[in-house]
Amino acid sequence: MKRRTWILSALGTTGALVVGWGVLPARSRMGSATSMLPSAGDVALNGWIKIAQNGQVILAMPRSEMGQGVHTGLSMLVAEELDVPLGRITLETAGPDKIYGNVAMFLGALPFHPKDLDAQDPSATVIVSEWVVGKVARELGLSVTGGSSSLTDAWEPMRMVAASARASLLGAAAAQWGVPVAELSVQDGVVQHASGKHAHFGELAGAAAGTAPQSVQPKDRMDWKLIGQATQRVDIPAKTNGRAQFGLDVRLPDMLFASVVMCPMLGGRATAIDAKAALAMPGVEKCVPLETANSDATLAGATAGFAVVGRTTWHARMAAQQVQVQWQQRSAGPLDSARIHQALTTSLASESGHVFYETGDTAQAEAQAARLVGASYNAPYLAHATMEPQNCTARVVGGRVEVWAPTQVPSAARAVAARVAGVDVEQVTLHVTLLGGGFGRRLEVDFVAQAVKVAMACDGRPVQLTWSREQDMTHDFYRPMHVAQFQAAVDAQGVISSLRIKSAGDAISPRWMARTLPALSGPIDTPDKTASEGLFDLPYGFANQTISHVATRSGVPVGFWRSVGHSHNAFFSESFVDEMALETRQDPLDFRRNWLKDAPRHLAVLNLAAEKSGWGKPLAAGHARGIALHESFNSIVAEVVEASLQDAQIRVHRVVVAVECGTVINPQSVAQQMEGAVIFGLTAALYSRIDIRDGVVQQSNFPNYPMVTLAQAPHVETHLVPSDRPPGGVGEPGVPPLAPALANALFVLTKKRCRSLPLEL
Amino acid sequence: MELKINGKWVQAEVDPAMPLLWVLRDVLNMTGTKFGCGVAACGACTVHVDGQAVRSCVFPVAAAAGKAIRTIESLGASDAPHALQTAWIAEQVPQCGYCQSGMLMAAAALLERTPKPTDADIDAAMTNICRCGTYQRVRAAIQSAAGQTPKESLV
Repeated sequence: MKRRTWILSALGTTGALVVGWGVLPARSRMGSATSMLPSAGDVALNGWIKIAQNGQVILAMPRSEMGQGVHTGLSMLVAEELDVPLGRITLETAGPDKIYGNVAMFLGALPFHPKDLDAQDPSATVIVSEWVVGKVARELGLSVTGGSSSLTDAWEPMRMVAASARASLLGAAAAQWGVPVAELSVQDGVVQHASGKHAHFGELAGAAAGTAPQSVQPKDRMDWKLIGQATQRVDIPAKTNGRAQFGLDVRLPDMLFASVVMCPMLGGRATAIDAKAALAMPGVEKCVPLETANSDATLAGATAGFAVVGRTTWHARMAAQQVQVQWQQRSAGPLDSARIHQALTTSLASESGHVFYETGDTAQAEAQAARLVGASYNAPYLAHATMEPQNCTARVVGGRVEVWAPTQVPSAARAVAARVAGVDVEQVTLHVTLLGGGFGRRLEVDFVAQAVKVAMACDGRPVQLTWSREQDMTHDFYRPMHVAQFQAAVDAQGVISSLRIKSAGDAISPRWMARTLPALSGPIDTPDKTASEGLFDLPYGFANQTISHVATRSGVPVGFWRSVGHSHNAFFSESFVDEMALETRQDPLDFRRNWLKDAPRHLAVLNLAAEKSGWGKPLAAGHARGIALHESFNSIVAEVVEASLQDAQIRVHRVVVAVECGTVINPQSVAQQMEGAVIFGLTAALYSRIDIRDGVVQQSNFPNYPMVTLAQAPHVETHLVPSDRPPGGVGEPGVPPLAPALANALFVLTKKRCRSLPLEL
Repeated sequence: MELKINGKWVQAEVDPAMPLLWVLRDVLNMTGTKFGCGVAACGACTVHVDGQAVRSCVFPVAAAAGKAIRTIESLGASDAPHALQTAWIAEQVPQCGYCQSGMLMAAAALLERTPKPTDADIDAAMTNICRCGTYQRVRAAIQSAAGQTPKESLV
């Protein structure tokens, strides 16, 4: 299929929604007072901001805090425009209104080459696609925290809603005092006039609610007091004293606890469940089968099993072990990761795949080449392993469903709860708790579906359903296994003249849609950007490139894993960049610089990392550096890893991170995210692999799926490249460069190229 | 069973084999202590029993009977936070925060035993898993709470 054709076909999958569009300008995301949950004494000024009588600002928070600092970041935008201290802002979970939908995440899923997006004069395809998808996304209003998109998405609307609220408050004061708005100022949430008149927001809110602002503009960059300042995160104090409320911390009167056991063979089911012994144990209430009834959508992709309900989680866990079950493999036969690896490799030769990017004439360059350089790379399945195991609390009473969930996707959580309970979505109330890690795992709603199913059997009592660590690790939606074949042509002058990359692996997005938002799902083989991102969108100026991907159907449940396709594709591509540098006898840094002449932003990031790391300067004996550069989620990150070998183990000492992520809201959060991404990437690079044999995931808990701990943690330092662009992503872009930078350092140490993850000496 | 938790005696009618973690969380509704792995591998459930850091997910409640159990809820008071809590905020340690109760309790036990820990002491004592990767800030905060200057700055 030609590229243009499939973009239109991808749009066609949501085409039904096009009918009936109204006029829906971007400003419609401001919403109206009725979008907010009513609360006594508070006055809503729009769909996002309420003012309490004491002047406290109540902000509807549609994004999930999972450690990335989003509650602070979004609050900072509002505090800046309202001129209130951060402490004057209280958060409440946003309701289901479409204004809270994440538009930027959908735009980020369009598979355009950055070159096309950054063009002075974008093509009609780009313009039309962005317009249509933006429009559809606003109409869908899907509330989701993912794709490192929260600040990108909130940047305009959040500042607009706050600026608008401020204008209303000033308008009310001006009218009351009979003075021009221009003579008013705001200091710490108090409106002031030179005459000495002053009033805090709470005193003005009632009048302000009826004062519609004409037109408002967010502050000029030069007037910012808060944006860009290293700011302490608002969620941190409660995370030092045990008061932070995660999903597992929900406690309700008369609450029951459930423990889940799913078929050990992925996609399998129980043919017989005998719970007699379990139900005879003290403190055990019931055993609820969790069948999938042949439809992935029923339990949002979860493998079938059962839940035991008891007085405490421990009672439920103990009893679950006593349930006698006969398990059966999925009808398509047992999954096996070694066999899948073989099939992926075979598919590279046997299938043509979909071309994600083509420029110049690769075949001709190859025909005229002095020599061809090739390499094959691969990456395993990976589990997310959030520290808080999957869980959800639900109560079903008389057609009403109440759900407490640590979820990244409130819209889908509500929808699946309604689907399972067989009620309208309006009958579902959702409370989003703090998330004990997300990393993409909590973009799934399988655990929500299970909790509602179990709650339906509990006679109106609330039930907290908790997965054991073992269930969590063996029933994840794994980062897909991928393989990639690289071929570079070197011309007679010893210069790289073309690059051909062909990869293979399962697409994530269409499968996620099918199990999570079945009403919106399209063809499973629609080309998915996540499969090729990090390969088709490289910043280097090779004139001839052909980048294609073979979408496979392994049957393994696959999902979004922090930085998604970039996480493995950057390992492939940035390792191969070092291979090309070696082949053309250049220093890896110089090679990158030479091919980034037309990419000044990338060059600036690369140069900063090189400078701060002391690239080229002497190191301690036995130490070596490796470098990698990668753009993802609208941000560019370069990392220089300093590593050595100690007792035949890889030891990473220092990682220097340079990042250009557009306008920085909170440099504090950026540094934290880069540090965390380095550790996350390092764990994957050193240790992580999920193997599946006979349908069963072999790794089950931290002892056999180990994590980097404090003693192995390198020193990480973060350096920012200033930028006036709108904010890019921060949560994920630090992950992709770590593995290739480490692999490149290892090559210096061992002269052996590691082309497989996890890295092995 | 008589349990002395955070200086107060409480009565809990529980199976003696029940791990302390579940008694705290599901019987007494003290949810500051977290469930992470169930096999003492991650440290999210760390509490003190007679001053020792223990992983409560595998610690039978009977073994804690009559002993001084201390949880995150009593590490400090809001008007008088523990030095570690103050340092945790100053160094902006937590990200998702789920592992941090256990981290703090492990760090508190370390400082009670070793008021001026070396980096090697911290390496040996702090084996808790943090999936967000907050380790270098954990190290810096422990050093800071111990009145020592961290060796390297964070930015």
